[in-house]
Amino acid sequence: MTSEVFNVYIAVLIATIFGFVLVGSALIGNLILSPRQKSPHKGVTYECGMLPIGRSRAQVHFRYYLFAILFLIFDIEAVFLFPWAVSFVELGEQAFYEMLVFIGILAFGLLYAWKKGVLNWR
Amino acid sequence: MDDLNLLGPQLALLIGAGLIIIVDLLLPIVSRQAYQGRLPLLSGLALLAAAGSLGWSLALVLTDERGEAFDGMISVDDFTLFFNFLFAAVAGAIVLGSVDYLARHRFQGEYLALILIAAAGMSLMAAGTDLIMIFIALELQAIALFALVGISKNESGSEATLKFLLLSAISTAITLYGMAYLFGLSGETSLDGIASYVANTDENRSALVLAAVFLTAGLGFKMAVVPFQMWVPDVYEGAPTPITAFLSVASKAAGFAVVMRIFLAALGEGLITTDWAYLFAAIAAVSMTLGNVLALVQGNIKRMLGYSSIAQAGTILIGLAAVAAEDPQLLLGTSSVVFFLGAYAFTNIGAFIAIIAISHKIGSDQIADYAGVAKRSPLLAFALAACLFSLTGFPPTAGFIAKIYVFNAAVQADLVWLAIIGVLNSVISAYYYLRVVLNMFARDPETDEAFTPSPYLGAALAAAVVGLFAIGIYPTPLIEASESAARVFS
Repeated sequence: MTSEVFNVYIAVLIATIFGFVLVGSALIGNLILSPRQKSPHKGVTYECGMLPIGRSRAQVHFRYYLFAILFLIFDIEAVFLFPWAVSFVELGEQAFYEMLVFIGILAFGLLYAWKKGVLNWR
Repeated sequence: MDDLNLLGPQLALLIGAGLIIIVDLLLPIVSRQAYQGRLPLLSGLALLAAAGSLGWSLALVLTDERGEAFDGMISVDDFTLFFNFLFAAVAGAIVLGSVDYLARHRFQGEYLALILIAAAGMSLMAAGTDLIMIFIALELQAIALFALVGISKNESGSEATLKFLLLSAISTAITLYGMAYLFGLSGETSLDGIASYVANTDENRSALVLAAVFLTAGLGFKMAVVPFQMWVPDVYEGAPTPITAFLSVASKAAGFAVVMRIFLAALGEGLITTDWAYLFAAIAAVSMTLGNVLALVQGNIKRMLGYSSIAQAGTILIGLAAVAAEDPQLLLGTSSVVFFLGAYAFTNIGAFIAIIAISHKIGSDQIADYAGVAKRSPLLAFALAACLFSLTGFPPTAGFIAKIYVFNAAVQADLVWLAIIGVLNSVISAYYYLRVVLNMFARDPETDEAFTPSPYLGAALAAAVVGLFAIGIYPTPLIEASESAARVFS
């Protein structure tokens, strides 16, 4: 029983070893064969593209998190709407009204956020 | 429609919560002036929702309406109904106890609505007979409680919320892991399905035990027993006092309800063995001892009650250990736990509401500042003393009967040593409970200025104190109710 289980994993083991050998030989071959020439241009972060100058910590306004939360409302709504849309004909009337209630609750959540001034950019 | 009828008590709470938010939202459009004085209206609505929930539960009892609903997701039986009453009543008391605190608060509507939502979640936790339902209910009450703990947005409140949130998330993950094990083994999420799997198989015992341990650990957080108690003192101290009361009574009772539901309904056959009894007995002994010893040295009364609630949870666990120790004692052990939770609700709500009333006036949570309260407000001091006596377990209060009940269950289940530890701990706890009483009655106050609680607090406190004496003197109705609740599992 146990040997059978391990036989299955021998393929994985071989693939792993082969992977290490492949990558290792490529790196070592590169180290031995490649010519080396140093120039200041090779030291920049991106060989093509903008030079990264300035502070690396870009600031994002924290108010975006409220929008992210509001986005979740619609995200969840979509997640539930797709399977519902596929099957609500078979599920009958009850499923239809249940989804109406669900959307109503979500719409109410949006109304609440709106009324509390979440949508205003201050 | 039958399903909705059975779900009525919870729906009443949720509809109340929705109404409160809508009114809070639309009132400023109707009249600015009315919005300034909205607190009585909103708390009235919250009380109405709690009363509606109680009324609906009563109607279900009177019409003898029981059964499963939503394809076996929830089951409305005597056990569920008992906790419906408990949570709706506690929510009502907390609303009454919050009126003073809310007077200058910005989020009155949200606060009251969240209390109702949390109570509905707890009630569903007791009703759930499917792991998915139980988990959703668990999250429903947890998320509402996170917001409630941090609603005042001061430094200690934010610290408390963060601790509560992180530790609760971890405990939820552990609970879910245990549930996943049960599902993986049995292929069922319904407790009935798991029960029939557990009863009919001898394989995978170790995995079942692992699942039980994970569930105990995850739900131990909700029950606040050692070693899952780390969050209790800080969260109890940082949260608004009414919310602390809510956490210490309702959230704890909900944890016990879920543990009883899962362990007795799903894992009862075969897994509840003597070994398992020793696990619970050990947790009970450690919780009682550690909670009481740490409560001895607390200067802040909210922290003291936090540690005391850990000790009380340990005492309740004695009943669960007794359930496991011997099969025929299933009824006695379970009903003692249910009875203790009911008696404890009256006692602890009373204690916290008295503290809200006193601390509000003297402006401090320090036990030392309670000196001479009896001379300034004899009735409040008497009420707090009655609650503390009940927590200690003196007759003729509810706490006395509850402790006798639990210790009796332990002795009947051959756990005499555990009962002895419980009695010893009651003696230790007498020291710190009575120290507060002594401080209030024997010392002289700094000022002689008399004060009385607001009518809301007074009403809630009077109900709690009358309740704890009524149970202490004539416990038969509550005993019968807990026995019929316990019979669900036998």
